[in-house]
Amino acid sequence: MAAAPDDVLLWRYADARDGGELELAAQLWEQLAVNNFDRVQQIVKAFRFSPGGPGLPEHEWGSAASEAYLRVVAMGAGFREREVGRFYAALVTCVQNACRDFGRRELRHERRVAGSVDATFEPGAEAGPYDAALAAYDAELRERAGDAVRAERGRLAAEQLVAWAIAQVANESYREVLELTWIEKLTGEQIAARLGISHDNVYARRSRGLKQLERILRGTRD
Amino acid sequence: MAPETERILSDFIDAWNAGRRPDVEEHLVRAPAEQRAELAGQLLAFLSFAPTPAYGDADLAAIRAEPVVAGALRAAGARGGLLPALLARLRERRSLTTAALASELVGALGLARDRAPKTASYLDRLERGELEPARISRRVLEALARLLGVPLAELEGAGEPSGWGPRPAPVFRAERDAADAVGRHLELLGDALAAPGGEGRDEVDDLFLGGR
Repeated sequence: MAAAPDDVLLWRYADARDGGELELAAQLWEQLAVNNFDRVQQIVKAFRFSPGGPGLPEHEWGSAASEAYLRVVAMGAGFREREVGRFYAALVTCVQNACRDFGRRELRHERRVAGSVDATFEPGAEAGPYDAALAAYDAELRERAGDAVRAERGRLAAEQLVAWAIAQVANESYREVLELTWIEKLTGEQIAARLGISHDNVYARRSRGLKQLERILRGTRD
Repeated sequence: MAPETERILSDFIDAWNAGRRPDVEEHLVRAPAEQRAELAGQLLAFLSFAPTPAYGDADLAAIRAEPVVAGALRAAGARGGLLPALLARLRERRSLTTAALASELVGALGLARDRAPKTASYLDRLERGELEPARISRRVLEALARLLGVPLAELEGAGEPSGWGPRPAPVFRAERDAADAVGRHLELLGDALAAPGGEGRDEVDDLFLGGR
C-alpha cells in the first residue's frame, strides 16, 4: 500500500487540527514528516554543493540534516497552511535556515554572490526564498471569486503553487516538459516518446525549464 | 550546462519520481567537477518542489528506521516534546556547555551572575526532558532563540507537546451545593498560590516554572 500523498495528508492534518483532533493531527504531521525525510536529507546534500552552500562543512552535513529534520518535525505545531506548495516552501526555508546556521561563519564570505541560495537567509530573517511567488500567487487567488476558489480547491493537483508557476514559464516547449515531469510524472524516456523528440532534447528542456521555474518561484523573473 | 550533466539531472528526476530514493552526491560525482555547483543548484531547485514519490510500505518502513527519523519521532512523543532534543543539538552546534549557555542566558535575562549555576541546572533538566516546556516563560525562550540563532516560533513549536496532545477535560461539574462544599478549600488554595515562595524560590524559578 502506497503512502498517502502529501496534499491529502496536509488537508487531513489541517481539518484535524481545526477540528480539535490534535492527536490525529500529530499522527498526520508525522506521516508528512516521514514522507519528506528524503527531501530534507537530499536538500541538505545539494545545499552543500550549490553556489551558496559551500559554508556547510563536509563533516557537518549529517548533523545539519538531523537538526533540519528535527526543526521540520517541530514545525507542525505552528503550521497553519493547507496547500502542499506552501508546506514545501516552509520546509525548504526551515532546512536552509538550519544549513545556514551550520555554515554561518563561512557563508559570510559568500553572501554577495549573485543567485546564492542563502541570499535571503540573513540571521533572524523571517523571509523565505519563495515569499515573492507566494505573494503573487495569493494575489491571483484573491482576484478570483470566492466560489470559484472553493471549487478549484478540489482540483489540488492543478492548483498547487508549482502548477501555477509552471503555467508562468514563457517557453512553451519547456513548459510542456515541466508539466509532463511534475503533473504526469513521466520519465525522460516517456516524454521523448510522447513528444517525438530525442532524449537529449528532453534533458535540455528539463534543465532549462527548471531554471525558469526557479526564477519564477524566487520572484526574480526577467 | 553540458548535455551529459543535463542527463544526470534528468536521471535524478526520473529516479525520484519513481520512488527509487536517489542520492544527490552519487549523481553529483558523475558530473565534471566544474559543473557540480550548477547541477547542485538545479537539484536543489527540483527538490524544493518535487512531488513526493508514492512510497510503498517497505520504503516507508526503511525511512522510519533511519536513525534521524526514529530519533526525531521518538523525541516528538516524549515528555517535553522536541524541545529537549533540539535545545541540546543547538547548544552542541555552538560548542557551548550547559554552564556556558546558562552564563550567556543569565546575561541576556539581566539576572545576577550568581544565578548562573541554578540556571544551568534548569537547562540541564530541560534537556533531559524533566521540565514541562509550557512552564518556561516566554522571556527565557526569546533569549534562548536569540542566543542560539533560531526563530522563536521554532523553539515554541518544539516545546508544544501540549499543543498536540489531548486537552485536559474538566474534572467535575459543579453541583448546586458545590460552593459550600469546596469554597473553603478553594480559598485556602488561592491563598497558597498567592503566597510568596519559600526562601529558595527566586526569579530563576519563576522564569522556568512560572509559565508564559
